[in-house]
Amino acid sequence: MTRLITLLSVFTALAIATLSTSCHKIEEYADDPHGNFEALWTIIDEHYCFLDEKGIDWDAVHATYARRIGPEMTREELFIVCADMLDELKDGHVNLSAPFNTSYYRKWWSDYPQNFSERLIEESYFNFNYRQTGGMKFGILSENIGYIYYPSFSNPIGEGNLDNVLYFLKNTQGLIIDVRDNGGGDLTNVETLVSRFITEPTVVGYISHKTGPGHNDFSEPFEIEYKPAAAGRIRWGKPVIVIANRSTFSAANNFVSVMKLIPGVRVVGATTGGGSGMPYSSELPCGWSVRFSACSMLDAERRSTEFGVEPTEGCAVDMNPLEALSGKDTILEFAINLLQNQ
Amino acid sequence: MPIFAIDLSGMDEVFIFTPSQMTNRQLITIVLTLLCLSRASAFPLTTSTHAAEAGTAISETATCSVMTTEAEADTPTSGTAVSITDTTATILRPVFAAYTAEFGSAHLADTYLSPIKYTGWHAGLDYQRYQAMRFDPDRWTMRLHFNLGLDKTDNPARNATMWSIMLNADWGMMRKFRPFTPDLTLAIGGSTGIEAGCLYNPRNGNNPASAKAAWTVNLTGYASWRTKLWRLPVTLTYQPTLPVAGAFFAPDYGELYYEIYLGDHEGLAHAAWWGNYFKLDNQLTADLHLGSTNLRLGYHGAIFSSKVNHVVTNIFTHAFTIGVSGEWISVNPRKEIPTKCRMINALY
Repeated sequence: MTRLITLLSVFTALAIATLSTSCHKIEEYADDPHGNFEALWTIIDEHYCFLDEKGIDWDAVHATYARRIGPEMTREELFIVCADMLDELKDGHVNLSAPFNTSYYRKWWSDYPQNFSERLIEESYFNFNYRQTGGMKFGILSENIGYIYYPSFSNPIGEGNLDNVLYFLKNTQGLIIDVRDNGGGDLTNVETLVSRFITEPTVVGYISHKTGPGHNDFSEPFEIEYKPAAAGRIRWGKPVIVIANRSTFSAANNFVSVMKLIPGVRVVGATTGGGSGMPYSSELPCGWSVRFSACSMLDAERRSTEFGVEPTEGCAVDMNPLEALSGKDTILEFAINLLQNQ
Repeated sequence: MPIFAIDLSGMDEVFIFTPSQMTNRQLITIVLTLLCLSRASAFPLTTSTHAAEAGTAISETATCSVMTTEAEADTPTSGTAVSITDTTATILRPVFAAYTAEFGSAHLADTYLSPIKYTGWHAGLDYQRYQAMRFDPDRWTMRLHFNLGLDKTDNPARNATMWSIMLNADWGMMRKFRPFTPDLTLAIGGSTGIEAGCLYNPRNGNNPASAKAAWTVNLTGYASWRTKLWRLPVTLTYQPTLPVAGAFFAPDYGELYYEIYLGDHEGLAHAAWWGNYFKLDNQLTADLHLGSTNLRLGYHGAIFSSKVNHVVTNIFTHAFTIGVSGEWISVNPRKEIPTKCRMINALY
């Protein structure tokens, strides 16, 4: 009896002791201008993956912007200060979303020539007579070169769609894949598309995530391997040119970095917009959501592509506005010539 | 105010019950006794001459009796039907089962999804099944338990929702004690179980879900007190379960599920101990013995807190439970019903 009572007492005491000590705490911030600012600063401080790579002194940023925070400021005023602080990251993947506005760092593309007009191609090269399926527009140029325009990796690509597209283009002498103004989307669509241009399992890059709140807490880069399309699917073995511009971003940036390292593929146009950080979401006490880069993706040679992927050597071309007025896409013309003269 | 008076012909005792005295267990006793009687009346010839025709069970009809546990026999107010201890009697181990629905509040936080605490409602379904163990039914009992919970919570700004769905299943065995009074049964033992589910915040892009999966070894037990509420027999039961060790799944601090999809499975499994994985499940129930089926009312509170890879998860739920409970015995039509049996309640 005594042993039983002792046993039960120990059980109860252990339960109470663990109950009081084992509930792990989460740091809380007040829902006021100061609390929301501190919460945002801390989220970036502990989770953003490019602070050191970009040489950002985040403590100094805090000191600069904390001075602009006052207890009486409105939500609009607070939003402006927070958005300005996030602009210091110079990252197109960083957004602060409030019910009345979403912040967006635009200089990664606004400071560069656009180098693309979708209408120009549709009108001057296809006379609006082109096919489209699976989020892709495609057709055969007069030089017997296949052309695919893929505006967003958010558009799902079906394997059947790809079979039909590549079969339609099978008699052409080469293929141009245009991903200008492609702002990204799903990386699984990148894999689906790339799998048509490789013949064996290929290491296409690496991914590394944060392992802790420290600025240098990163995991060992993990190898990303793509497999070729399944047997029975159509694979493309002829020359390929990928056209990119500065607005080629995120998953599209990743697509260009992968394709560039595949033999027989050249990248033409301008340096892409970057955006190699996989975005992650969090939120502030006031309910605003914040998105930022959390996982760094490297190319197959372990180089960061956060600042963009350069064209293949000798293939950097900008669009000539005067030629555009006469219905010519300088970059597309360059790519056509390249395929014709190889 | 006698309600039931059963005169078993050929037996020495007449059983008298009143509703206030009857427990659920005793009702089963009556049913079993009546079963024996009905078989006897169907085959009235119980002489040794006809025994061979009627079968062994029938030949023993005259001595048919249902035994109770010693504890029951000692209960002064229990209105015990028969208090005969016979070690040769067949032991019946009725299943005590409870089906409940629960409704209450939920508090969720998972820093993988958001550093903000969410609050909202909790709903769930719970199933418990107790049965005395075969090897030592008087002292040991086992429990099978399933719980499915669904939480819907909002952030303080009410502009984002976090869902949680969790399935728990565990099996354990416990040693019973009656240290103070026969009406109070204490049990302590161990259980092992799995938990699987996820928290889901649809507002997040690449990190919308935080999956949870764990296998744990638990310390568990119960205290069951049979009493009366005015004249209504009531059984109050408190059942805590505390995981003490195990293993659980958790991605790394900033690891996206896309990376896991790519094949990076390193560091996903973690050993669980109270420092990184704490859970305490409390159930306090009252079984109101209204008839052969009990009305079960109670409280179910669950506290879960984990911290691994700098990611903290808190799930707290408090719920009112309502449902039914009762005892049942499976009858195999291919086997004869034993004429001498002793029933051992799983809970008491």
